Amino acid sequence: MSAADIELVDLHKHYRKGRIDIPALDGLSLTIDAGSFVAIMGPSGSGKSTLLHLIGGLDSADSGIIRVGEYRLDRMSERQLTAWRSRHVGFIFQMYHLVPVLTAAQNVELPLLLFRMPARERRKRVATALEVVGLADRMDHRPNQLSGGQEQRVAIARAIVTDPDVILADEPTGDLDARTSQEILQLLSLLNAEFGKTIVMVTHDPRAAAFGQRILHLDKGVLDRDERNPARPAAAAHAH
Amino acid sequence: MLILSYLHRNIWRNPLRVLMTGLAVGLPITIFVLSVAVVDGINRFLDNSARQLRLAITHKSSIVYPLPAGYRGKIEALDHSRPITVCAMRWIGGKVEDKPQPLSTLAADPDTFPATFPEYLTDPAERAAWERDRQAIVVGRGTAAQFGWRVGDRITIRASVPPYSAIPFHVVSTAQDVVDPVTLFCRGDYLEEEIKRQGYPEGLVSFFFAKCRSSDDLEFYRTAIDAHFANTPDPTLTQDEKAFMSQFIAQQFDLPRNLTILSALTVVVAIIAAANTMSMNFRDRLAEYAALKALGFGRALVFALIQFESLAICVSAGALGALGPWYAFTYTPLRRFTVPLIQSLDVRLAVCAQAVGIAAAVGLIAAAWPVWLAARLRPVVAFRALE
Repeated sequence: MSAADIELVDLHKHYRKGRIDIPALDGLSLTIDAGSFVAIMGPSGSGKSTLLHLIGGLDSADSGIIRVGEYRLDRMSERQLTAWRSRHVGFIFQMYHLVPVLTAAQNVELPLLLFRMPARERRKRVATALEVVGLADRMDHRPNQLSGGQEQRVAIARAIVTDPDVILADEPTGDLDARTSQEILQLLSLLNAEFGKTIVMVTHDPRAAAFGQRILHLDKGVLDRDERNPARPAAAAHAH
Repeated sequence: MLILSYLHRNIWRNPLRVLMTGLAVGLPITIFVLSVAVVDGINRFLDNSARQLRLAITHKSSIVYPLPAGYRGKIEALDHSRPITVCAMRWIGGKVEDKPQPLSTLAADPDTFPATFPEYLTDPAERAAWERDRQAIVVGRGTAAQFGWRVGDRITIRASVPPYSAIPFHVVSTAQDVVDPVTLFCRGDYLEEEIKRQGYPEGLVSFFFAKCRSSDDLEFYRTAIDAHFANTPDPTLTQDEKAFMSQFIAQQFDLPRNLTILSALTVVVAIIAAANTMSMNFRDRLAEYAALKALGFGRALVFALIQFESLAICVSAGALGALGPWYAFTYTPLRRFTVPLIQSLDVRLAVCAQAVGIAAAVGLIAAAWPVWLAARLRPVVAFRALE
């Protein structure tokens, strides 16, 4: 599956909380190159999580265009978005959201159930994904038998096992100590550099953002700054 | 396999919660099954009464008003072409000294009791003992088992009504083949002597039972008796035995109606308990369900997870709650357990199957609200709520 460009044009998104109208995105436009690693920063309420949810097809904009690769998400129904997510996006959450009663391997295998795939092929993919994240020896461990960093690695393996175009990470190191955070960010960099995955990561932490080739600063729903990270030159898009 | 493993392990995430929910569903199912067994037993008793071609004659105003003992002769003389056997009964209730359990003792005319109630005293030796011994008493086998009485035992019963005295009896039968396992019958002439000795009014009876030869005779006497005594100070109400017993059961305990209401209420309690559990489970796993939806799973998986868990818990608990009493009342000493008027509790497998069906319905209803919430669950809203 090839990586995808992401194009957002004049995005508007408002939330209603009771009678109060809360603007989350206010005419935001930007493009993200396929195969790039982009960090999104900004204060709470700046719209960064909303942006991530819109790119991932988890939410719909009030107006504007959202294109990921050849897909116009703003024109898709909820059912179409659900199907699209299963094939083109991998999610990494701050709190991992693993299924506690399943083993690491079973958690990673879950998204593959949405594909018509023989069990042997599924097992092979699961083993590869867990090997990539360095947890080949923890396949049969349940989440409560793993450390926070290991849980997040399982979540990353779950995100990449379907070989998606885009990986969306929402504060992936927000619940981890500094050393484990570094390991997770290096792993994301590896997925970007070696496997050509487009990675969009929301973070509050400047040290985490420094792993991105590009750092977008949002404020009050608009793009405040768009920085290129000289320490991380953009890599050419890879075909996996 | 993975989905099956997921469904199975989901059930046991919180064992204590599952256990409590299982009890909350299983116990009402047990109550339902036992209630049906009791109502079945009462219906069997009433059906048996209907086959006996017996009429019960009571005071028209209420069963508590006595009738003159002389009515027996007048009833027997109503139509000589239609022979009828009439047995006067006097209720004395009674208790064994130092025992709290009330007894159901009736004093019956000694000469007509065997013919009116031929299912009793089927053994010629027992019948001879009844006719010979003024202190003879027939004890229902349930009561006999309860007090450890056997044929030949001497027992003493203190009457609950006049003459109120402690009266000695001689057990001549424990009525092994009779549907009613609890009622005791003593001789009316013996009781009359005691009443006379104590100075209480004589010549009064609680009611009569009359054994007819045919259904035609039964229909004839049902109206003829009441018509005959209509303009007397003590008018009668004549009913067939089934109607009389139904009325008696309704007045004494109204078991069928009360048990049906109790069963329905307990099933409602089961629904509430199971629904509460499924709602708690849904809230606990909100993030997990949201993550599954984010990964691309549609409503079907989340629906299946919630519905399967609810059904599995309720059907398992229902099966245990239904089959437990079935096993206990079929294969353990509990099968000898008797309830007033009921020979023994017969827990039928068909009722158990019906109970499991009810448990499944409880499972479906209990999961309805969480399933509806899950269908509407938007991952973004869930994640935002959890922040």
